[in-house]
Amino acid sequence: MSGSLQSYLILSALLFAIGTFGFLARRNAIAMLMSIELMLNAVNLSIVAFGAFIPALRGDAAIIALMVMAVAAAEATVGLAIVIAIYRNSRTPLVDEYDRMRQ
Amino acid sequence: MSGFLLTAAETETPVAAAGATDMLLVTLLVALPLAGFALTALLGRRLYTKAWVIAVPVMIVTWLIGLYVIAQALGGAYGEEGLHFTLYRWIPAGDFTVDAGFLVDGLTAALLIVVTTVGMLVHVYSIGYMAHEPGRWRFFAYLNLFMFSMLLLVLADNFLVLFAAWELVGLCSYLLIGYWYKRRSAALAAKKAFIVNRVGDVGFGLGIMAIWTTVGTLNFHEVFEALPEAGLEPWMITGIALLLFAGAVGKSAQFPLHVWLPDAMEGPTPVSALIHAATMVNAGVYLVARTSPIFAQSPFAMLVVASIGIFTAILAASIAMTQTDIKRVLAYSTLSQLGYMFAALGVGAYFAAIFHLMTHGFFKGLLFLGSGSVIHAVHEEQDMNRMGGLWRKIPITHITMLIGSIAISGIPFFAGFFSKDEILGESFKLGFGWVWFIGVVVAVMTAFYMFRLMGKTFYGPSHVDPHVADKIHESPPTMTIPLILLAIPSMFLGVAIGWPPEGGLIHQWLGPVFHEAEELLGHELEPYAIFGIDGFLLGASVAVAIVGMVMAWRYFGFRVPLLGAEVQPRARRVEVLTERFRGWYDASFHKWWFDDLNHLLFVRIGGAVAAALWWFDVNIVDGAVNGVARLTQGTGREIRQIQTGRVQNYALGIAIGLLVVAVSYLVVTPR
Repeated sequence: MSGSLQSYLILSALLFAIGTFGFLARRNAIAMLMSIELMLNAVNLSIVAFGAFIPALRGDAAIIALMVMAVAAAEATVGLAIVIAIYRNSRTPLVDEYDRMRQ
Repeated sequence: MSGFLLTAAETETPVAAAGATDMLLVTLLVALPLAGFALTALLGRRLYTKAWVIAVPVMIVTWLIGLYVIAQALGGAYGEEGLHFTLYRWIPAGDFTVDAGFLVDGLTAALLIVVTTVGMLVHVYSIGYMAHEPGRWRFFAYLNLFMFSMLLLVLADNFLVLFAAWELVGLCSYLLIGYWYKRRSAALAAKKAFIVNRVGDVGFGLGIMAIWTTVGTLNFHEVFEALPEAGLEPWMITGIALLLFAGAVGKSAQFPLHVWLPDAMEGPTPVSALIHAATMVNAGVYLVARTSPIFAQSPFAMLVVASIGIFTAILAASIAMTQTDIKRVLAYSTLSQLGYMFAALGVGAYFAAIFHLMTHGFFKGLLFLGSGSVIHAVHEEQDMNRMGGLWRKIPITHITMLIGSIAISGIPFFAGFFSKDEILGESFKLGFGWVWFIGVVVAVMTAFYMFRLMGKTFYGPSHVDPHVADKIHESPPTMTIPLILLAIPSMFLGVAIGWPPEGGLIHQWLGPVFHEAEELLGHELEPYAIFGIDGFLLGASVAVAIVGMVMAWRYFGFRVPLLGAEVQPRARRVEVLTERFRGWYDASFHKWWFDDLNHLLFVRIGGAVAAALWWFDVNIVDGAVNGVARLTQGTGREIRQIQTGRVQNYALGIAIGLLVVAVSYLVVTPR
């Protein structure tokens, strides 16, 4: 089983599902950001797996993976900055109390 | 004066004596009353009881200027075509240009005689009549505005200026009928007059548009010159003529738009005399006379004019015979006399029509002012059943009104005799025997209702309220002097301008104006033969007038001892007569139910249709629009619920959407 593309993709899907669940279920903004990172890494994993098993994609996959990491780093930076800004305003890290967008 | 922008219009006959002075004076003729109106309207409230100090002198000056202009025009100083000049270009819009221009010819001058003279006398009379009326400055301001409008109407040289003036006099009529606006009946009568006039004015407006689209100009002379060469179908000329006539029917209160004039008597009596007897209601006659070259090209339109005229004459005369309100009798009498004028215009007796317009303007103005004096004397009572025996108490009013009644009845050598006889005689000689016959019947009725009015008011037994009876006194000189001054033309105007028959001054004055129409009609009148047919016609109309007078006298006058003892009291005899002609009496008393018919047609049925349309509009049309709005609003309100503002709900939406896309991709994509 191990060493086949399928197993990597299943692992990736599982990680993505966990990340999605975490994003939807957790109320803490930091935990949600972490879930996003998890989803991004799940995607990265599948990209790298494709790169490893399909020779034609090898170069591209490596570059895209690096790209995703860069975007993830940027996203985490901006996301954390936003979360801190909101936290300073509303004194809570819990997103279900951020309903000011409703107005 | 040199700064005044006056330019002589290009007329074919060079006008020698008509210089800038005449143009200035004609302009002043309309400018002065307008200035009087503006000043009285602005300052009137501060003049308190002397509200007339601007309006009346202004009118007297206008009258003097009018006399000069009339003398110039009728003396031939303005030539055959009349004085014609343009004040300024009113509407410059590409091809469509309308000048504010004036035209003073024989016809205008004839109208000016009546308008300025009666207008001036009514202004003087109003000083006395309105002496105890609060807010009379409003009255004098409106009177001056009316004089401005009416003078503009007769002086206009094109259809559009005429139309503007036409609407202005209608506005003044509305304002003055509703002068006592707190009285509901007066407010309603004012509205009625205005609305009924609108019906005719729609036709007039359409007629003007038709002239513009077919001929391309609105100037009277240019239209009359261009119309025969425009190559119009006969039905188009008939259409234009009838549309113009619709306006005349409204303004001159002819059947079927006659219903507003009797109600217009709600206004103060000087207004009834000036607007609703002597001047404004003549505007329709003036219009048809002015546009006679158009009418003369359409025999059918002429027939319609004659028929409506003579029908109104007999209809109104029949109603006048039983009315008890003194002013209403005179109002129906006015309708009837206007009917005569239209009948004359319809048969082609233009001179007779304008002649009758002039004499009628004076004697009907006199009768109305006299009735105002009577009403004043018996303390604002208008019902003739509560008058009687007044002849000794208000002698000046009595004598002048008697002169007016004799004049309108057509007793020889008074003004109405000449003009009415000319209408009847010419109708007969021009081959309209039926117009002549109905006209003669109307003449009997005229004499009857006028002497019924005189009898009930002045001669019969007194039914005056005993509290009032002791206080009856003659009106002040400001009221009696105009009566006397109006009585003079009522006696002598006919002989002055109508004698010899068909060759009098009026024929000289109006000859050039009606020349074109007469030529189109091709009427050839035999020379006047006093010992031939004309003598017979003359005798007939005098005889019927006397018959009508004697009949009225027998029922309503005083007892003449020579005729023997009274068989039964007069009141009883009137009752018997009424009983014998019950159906006719009711029809006449209820004005042939025209008001009820209008009420049924336009208020009940028209109202029901309007209500149905209103329901449709509110429920179906508005319902559709509001329904769409409500649907959108409701949907929005419901859908808004999902906008929680929470990030995770949105994320869930995104996740579900993603899932749906992914699953459908897997399902749809063939393997």
